[in-house]
Amino acid sequence: MIGEVTPVRGNRMAGRDGFAQLLRAEWTKFWTVRGWVVTLALAAVLTAGIALALGNAGNSGGLPTVATGPGGIAVNDNFFFVHRSLAGDGSITVRVTSLTDGAVPGQGEGSIAPQPWAKAGIILKDGTRAGSAYAAVMATPGHGVRMQYDFTHDTAGLAGAVSASSPRWLRLVRSGDAVTGYDSADGSHWSVIGSATLAGLPSTAAAGLFVASPQAYQSSNGYVPTRAMARFDDLSLRGGWSPGTWGLCEVGAPQSGVGPACAPVSSREIPLPSPSESGGTFTVYGSGDISPYVPIVDILGGIIKAGSLAGLVVLIALSGVFVSSEYRRGMICMTFAASPRRGRVILAKAIVVGGVAFAAGLVGAAVALAIAGPKLRSHGWTPPIYPVVSLGTGTGLRIVAGTAVMLALAAVFTVAVAVMLRRSVGAITVGIALFVGPWLVAAAVGQSAGAFLLRVTPFAATAVQQGVQHYPQSSAVCLASHGCYPLAPWDGVGVLAIWTVAALAASWYVVRRRDA
Amino acid sequence: MTGVAGSAPLLTRAPAGRKRGGVFAAVRAEWIKLRTVSGPGWLLLACAVVTITVSSAVVAVEKCSSASCAVDATKVSLTGVQVGQAAVAILGVMVIGGEYATGMVRVTLAAVPRRPVMLAAKAAAVAVVTAAAGIIAVLGSLLAGRIFLPGNGFTAAHGFAALSLGNGPTLRAAAGSVLYLVLVALFSLGVAAAVRDTATAIAIVLGLMYVVRAVSSLVLDPAWQHRVDRVAPMNAGLAIQSATNLSKLPIGPWAGLGVLAAWAAAALLTGWLLLQLRDA
Repeated sequence: MIGEVTPVRGNRMAGRDGFAQLLRAEWTKFWTVRGWVVTLALAAVLTAGIALALGNAGNSGGLPTVATGPGGIAVNDNFFFVHRSLAGDGSITVRVTSLTDGAVPGQGEGSIAPQPWAKAGIILKDGTRAGSAYAAVMATPGHGVRMQYDFTHDTAGLAGAVSASSPRWLRLVRSGDAVTGYDSADGSHWSVIGSATLAGLPSTAAAGLFVASPQAYQSSNGYVPTRAMARFDDLSLRGGWSPGTWGLCEVGAPQSGVGPACAPVSSREIPLPSPSESGGTFTVYGSGDISPYVPIVDILGGIIKAGSLAGLVVLIALSGVFVSSEYRRGMICMTFAASPRRGRVILAKAIVVGGVAFAAGLVGAAVALAIAGPKLRSHGWTPPIYPVVSLGTGTGLRIVAGTAVMLALAAVFTVAVAVMLRRSVGAITVGIALFVGPWLVAAAVGQSAGAFLLRVTPFAATAVQQGVQHYPQSSAVCLASHGCYPLAPWDGVGVLAIWTVAALAASWYVVRRRDA
Repeated sequence: MTGVAGSAPLLTRAPAGRKRGGVFAAVRAEWIKLRTVSGPGWLLLACAVVTITVSSAVVAVEKCSSASCAVDATKVSLTGVQVGQAAVAILGVMVIGGEYATGMVRVTLAAVPRRPVMLAAKAAAVAVVTAAAGIIAVLGSLLAGRIFLPGNGFTAAHGFAALSLGNGPTLRAAAGSVLYLVLVALFSLGVAAAVRDTATAIAIVLGLMYVVRAVSSLVLDPAWQHRVDRVAPMNAGLAIQSATNLSKLPIGPWAGLGVLAAWAAAALLTGWLLLQLRDA
């Protein structure tokens, strides 16, 4: 009897047992419950609505005046420059023997260790105007020898800090528009660090020695200016250098703004002794930084994050209920009877929930960005410090798509946890606590512990929402309370993806071993 | 006919039962329900373990290198409460939401027909067990702070005394944190009584606490941030954990806890009103 019936059923079912049918069944379960569709819409509305409400934030403090570098980006361009003009091709070679004596206002030399991104070296620049094109080779206390040009480009040379026993020889060679940087540990064996093409560099450029020391972050005082001192010797110049004495100039001095003014500045928050030269040894003090300007507040990323966290809670609740309601009603037995391969059932649920969460996130974030972006600009969050981020820019697309992916992964993670726990309350709590808890704890603990949490927990995924570009060579501290994340945008999503895949694998293992 | 006749004695006996026990019997019934299923025990254990674990991890990594580090040692030691509260929120939600999920609530209301008595009994039972777990969680967290912090630079030389309940502000923070956990559980109970669904209730509770707290830190307008910090349940309630720099708080310690108490009272009142007005 059974032997006769089974093949018939088996044959009839064979054509319909595909994964597509399973997916369709799960999709039908979702969209036919009106409350769930309403909840999904609520997630999108909250994501956009909270972001829009916060988008009214006025910029009461105003924005600082910054220089504009090549490409129109906001830059720090403030350093002490010992320069001459170089007509046509030529080169400059120098030995750096020390870079020490970090100082902050009100405290003497050596009162703090020199900043890791303090810079002492040689630079070739389109005049002395802050923000003009340049190429430079420099020694740094914390990051070895670097070649940098036009603010955003940074290449590592010899490692290690500079000292009298371990000096560094640096060389810049100009040939047409191309500038090549070299370094050497002994003055005879040279290696190329990198080469820069500075389009539009005039035939006569300013070139010479420079020292800069970026602001330091102190938890009690915020950012404070610092100073550093460097010693150079063994200077040799080749090519069309102007004769005579060296010009002394503080490029982009805070007092003279970002204009072309270039003169030693006497009165300032941190005193800068004049440079001196004796027997071919130059002693130069400098303050400031040559780097992309990274604003402290990530306004756009912050409001999109706030909106998506609200949407996230709704989606986590929806995902938990989508699974647990089957367990509560016993429907899961029918589901597993219809599709005995349980891993596929979880996968189908994950795809349906992930898909709708992705859609809600995409719509919510796109609306938020499209409306909040112009709104913020009208409130004073303007370029160049806050570049235009719209749906048409790479950053804007990354924020919108990344938010949607983050919400989808979070929803799938909750599905997996709900399958394991069979209860919505536990799954929803685990989901919310893992996403929002790290942020709260990170804000309560110190910088390093906070950064660790934001690196390894699902909250890391919000890194994809950063609206401010961070550069490794920037000395700006990355604080969670400032909206900065230790991970690169998509790496953060990768961390969440690992959590999600691990949860799915665990739920697959659990559901195969137990009874329904 | 026989069915109706059979139910008559039950109806007449119900008032007798109430007279015998009243509120006390209702509380005792809730206590038996809490004690005889495994869920509440695990949740209370989770609250204590999670709170102590997170607090210990935080005090183990928190460093103070100079006399100028502006760290509130008591508050840092009690960081785990922010995570452990999720467990008591679940407990508060499950105590009544779980009954709606299984239909048990009809039996409960048949036994204790007066809605306020039933809700008060649940609130009393939940408050007592949460306070017990909260005391263990808070004392464990402070002990971890007392053990770890001096080794991380929180020494007398840097202006920090070892954490002790003999210190008034620390005692206030400790007792207040226990009360905070109790109020979170009661708030959750009230929300669950109002919405009758565990998933919706926990999402509302955690949304109002965690997400408002997280979002408020992203609000840039200081005036608005100040306002949110004064009225949101978690933002205001956690003011009780501060032992130093009280003048910088957006709301005073006890006033902040009062705000959370108001949230809990409003939730319980709403739950009671809805219970009274509608069919179970």
